[in-house]
Amino acid sequence: MIDQLITVIVALIVAPLIGGLLFGFDRKITARLQGRYGPPIIQPFYDFFKLLGKQHIAVSKLQFIWIYGYLTFMVVSLLFLVLKLDILLLVFLLGFAGVCFVLGAFSTKSPYAHFGANRELLQILAYEPVLLFLALGVYAQNGSFLISEIFKQDKPLLFTLWPLFIAVLFILTIKMRKSPFDISTSHHAHQEIVRGTVTEYSGPYYALIQLVEWYELVLLLGIIALFWTNPLWVGILIALGAFILELLIDNIAARLTARWMVRLSWSVGLVLGIINIAYLYLTKGVA
Amino acid sequence: MESWMMAIAILLPLVAGILVFIIRQYHVQSFIVVLTAIILAVNSILFLQQGPFTYSPGGFNWGLMVTILDYVILLFYLYVGISLRNWLVLIFALTQLIPLAWWEFGMKAHVELTPAFVVDHLSIVMTLVISIIGSLICIYALRYMYDHEHHTKLAKSRQPRFLFWLVIFLGAMNGLVFANNLVWLYFFWEVTTLCCFQLIAHDLTKEAINNAARALWMNSLGGTAFVFALIFLYVTQGGAEALSVQNIISGHITGAVIILPVALLCFTGFTKAAQMPFQSWLLGAMVAPTPVSALLHSSTMVKAGVYLVLRLAPAYAGTHLSTIIAIAGAFTFFAASGLAISQTTGKRVLAYSTIANLGLIIACAGINTPLAIAAAILLIIFHAISKGLLFLCAGTIEHQIWSREIEDMEGLAAKAPLTTLITTVGILSMFLPPFGMLLGKWLALEAAYMVPLAAIFFVLASTLTIVFWTKWLGRLLQVLPKIGWPREKLSLSYSVPLWLLLIGIFVIGMGVGPIYQNFILSATNNVITGNQIIPIGWHSLILTGTAFVEKGILGIFLVWPLFLILAVALLLPLLFIGLKPKELRPVYLCGEQTGDLDTDEWLAEADVKTKFQLGGYYYQKVLGEKTLDPWVNTIAIVILVIMLGYGVIIK
Repeated sequence: MIDQLITVIVALIVAPLIGGLLFGFDRKITARLQGRYGPPIIQPFYDFFKLLGKQHIAVSKLQFIWIYGYLTFMVVSLLFLVLKLDILLLVFLLGFAGVCFVLGAFSTKSPYAHFGANRELLQILAYEPVLLFLALGVYAQNGSFLISEIFKQDKPLLFTLWPLFIAVLFILTIKMRKSPFDISTSHHAHQEIVRGTVTEYSGPYYALIQLVEWYELVLLLGIIALFWTNPLWVGILIALGAFILELLIDNIAARLTARWMVRLSWSVGLVLGIINIAYLYLTKGVA
Repeated sequence: MESWMMAIAILLPLVAGILVFIIRQYHVQSFIVVLTAIILAVNSILFLQQGPFTYSPGGFNWGLMVTILDYVILLFYLYVGISLRNWLVLIFALTQLIPLAWWEFGMKAHVELTPAFVVDHLSIVMTLVISIIGSLICIYALRYMYDHEHHTKLAKSRQPRFLFWLVIFLGAMNGLVFANNLVWLYFFWEVTTLCCFQLIAHDLTKEAINNAARALWMNSLGGTAFVFALIFLYVTQGGAEALSVQNIISGHITGAVIILPVALLCFTGFTKAAQMPFQSWLLGAMVAPTPVSALLHSSTMVKAGVYLVLRLAPAYAGTHLSTIIAIAGAFTFFAASGLAISQTTGKRVLAYSTIANLGLIIACAGINTPLAIAAAILLIIFHAISKGLLFLCAGTIEHQIWSREIEDMEGLAAKAPLTTLITTVGILSMFLPPFGMLLGKWLALEAAYMVPLAAIFFVLASTLTIVFWTKWLGRLLQVLPKIGWPREKLSLSYSVPLWLLLIGIFVIGMGVGPIYQNFILSATNNVITGNQIIPIGWHSLILTGTAFVEKGILGIFLVWPLFLILAVALLLPLLFIGLKPKELRPVYLCGEQTGDLDTDEWLAEADVKTKFQLGGYYYQKVLGEKTLDPWVNTIAIVILVIMLGYGVIIK
């Protein structure tokens, strides 16, 4: 019990630190790739504290109720990961976080936020099935949805779930909102959506959004690390490799339309997922 | 005691129905309906306390009465078919009437069974759902119909007639879930079809009558399958004993022949549960006043369909039929969820969601493991509460804005905050953790690995579900920058059912652990073993040979911490985080605002002041009924053919 409490506290503090640093690293790399010098690596933290100090302004009360929901459910999902609980429920809770994010954008009468919200729904449509398939794949492999069960296995998940691994890499781009899938909101300015879903957040509320993004990044990389849990450092290296791969793709790819995103993910991602599940079912039978 | 309980459950609604039909005063009617509702609810709790028992009514030739009423109902269908010149209604009335008459008079079939009624855990769960949620909807209907008639400016009130059919519906449903004699079950089945027809046709518009007729012929098609199943069982098994539900499910009748009647009965269940390709009758039923929809979708009618399929689960366990039922249900879950995205009318979204969830329940019955059956029963309970609430919300919204269109509900949060709040909780409870529907889905996904194709459909459908609910919710919440909400007043007849159902979502949701352990497990045990042993009381049996007690949700942790998280995430900010007027800003419009904070006007082309408008996305070209229906219906028909062909022939 005490152990778990310590894990929780450490995760709550360390995760945003790692997430923030990774974002700083992202900005640096991207700048270098574009021939710029780039900000210092801890720039995201400077930004965060500066935003916190700004005046509270908002466009409606409903809007930021959902933002607290977004934060809470994202953190809880992360805790599910570090406490090694049920991965299916983790995906559902992550889904709740996503829904809160969309509803926050819908809770204003802002054309840009609505644009973003509708597109974010398409993003959910694109990535959610792959995450659910991942949970199902874990169940097929281990006979349990428990993450602690994954840690007990000697053979890494990657050996049997590699098609799903590719699918997860694919949706990582969507979930991180990186090019070519930075459709609902973008880290770079795009005229037609301004900042999409987060257009109407400013000051401390925008700082909250950044905080959630940090948690989310760590959570996603953590899920990727699950593919190789024994020893865990291999999994972490794989996750970091995946992160760098995303940065490269972000810098060399142009944006796609939302329709293309859904089509691609429902064809590539789902086919990989289905093949993987079918293969496991046929070879291992019912767990 | 037991005979009184049975009489109240089945006959009291009939008596109350006749009373409200005769007495035409609003206040007296209200009194009778509320009193009936309370008695029914208390009675259902008595059933819970009493536990399982069997019962055969005596002292009167009930069998003869059932037979006579059967023919009265069928002749009425015949009359409807002729007077509306609706040949489908006519044909399917005849296909029931002629075989039934040939069987009962030509073959002199006489079916008298003891026990006539079997009350087991599953039927107790069902009667709780019917008597409590159904009653709340009847109470809601009182005021709703008053307002409805006020709005449509009817010369002579048709409310007595409406309440009559509404109330006896509950009695018929109770009879249906208790009946052991298949002939009686068929009778109650027909009564629910009749009630449904009358209630859909209530407004007597052309559309209402047409849609009621469609509901009638589709359910009569199901009824026809039922009659053939009856006759087939009687003839091949040689006698009345074969027409006992208990005998069918407990394995007393064996051999390859049993599978055909069972498949036919499942087909009947499919029609009533509006599974694809029969979804159109339930969608058409949306023209009826909203309490009817609420009743049809949550506690009666469609739940009769899933009840029958679930009840028969042991009779087809381990067969191909079972797998095909799982796939058929899962396909409906998937296709209906997709179609729901393209719907622009709130009630139709709700209808598609119902069809989808019924598909999920039927798929669980088809997967046919203890875990899946437990999921199905949980889903029946939680779906009834949440969907009942959502329809009542839809009705309340309709009576505030006099529209059912989602686009007209834009910004409802600023006009009717209380209704919006309740609707929001209702919608969230349909698809997100920690609410019960999601727990059911969670169990279902775990169980679905047995039938991977079903699991794949589940995954896709769950995702589509998120999209259509969130999209609708988003339209309600769109508000302009403003401080303070208007106070909203609802009539007691509206607010009492709404609040009770809302509380129900949380109480049952948080108490799912003990409920699962004490009731659901017993009911699952009933279903799986086909009632071979009917235990007394609730705690007596734990399933043997299955690991799901440890592996299921409750072995891992309790649900209430998740509710705590929900409170921290949404309730606390809602209650405690305020916003000062000076903190409000208008939305970003590229600096082209016309000035005021809560205005949605901007300077458009040539600096003309223009109101800007936002709309929802419906993707009708891709996901609309016109595009998808041909595909969906074809696939569904193919699955049905496979079910009745391959599933029956190859065991």
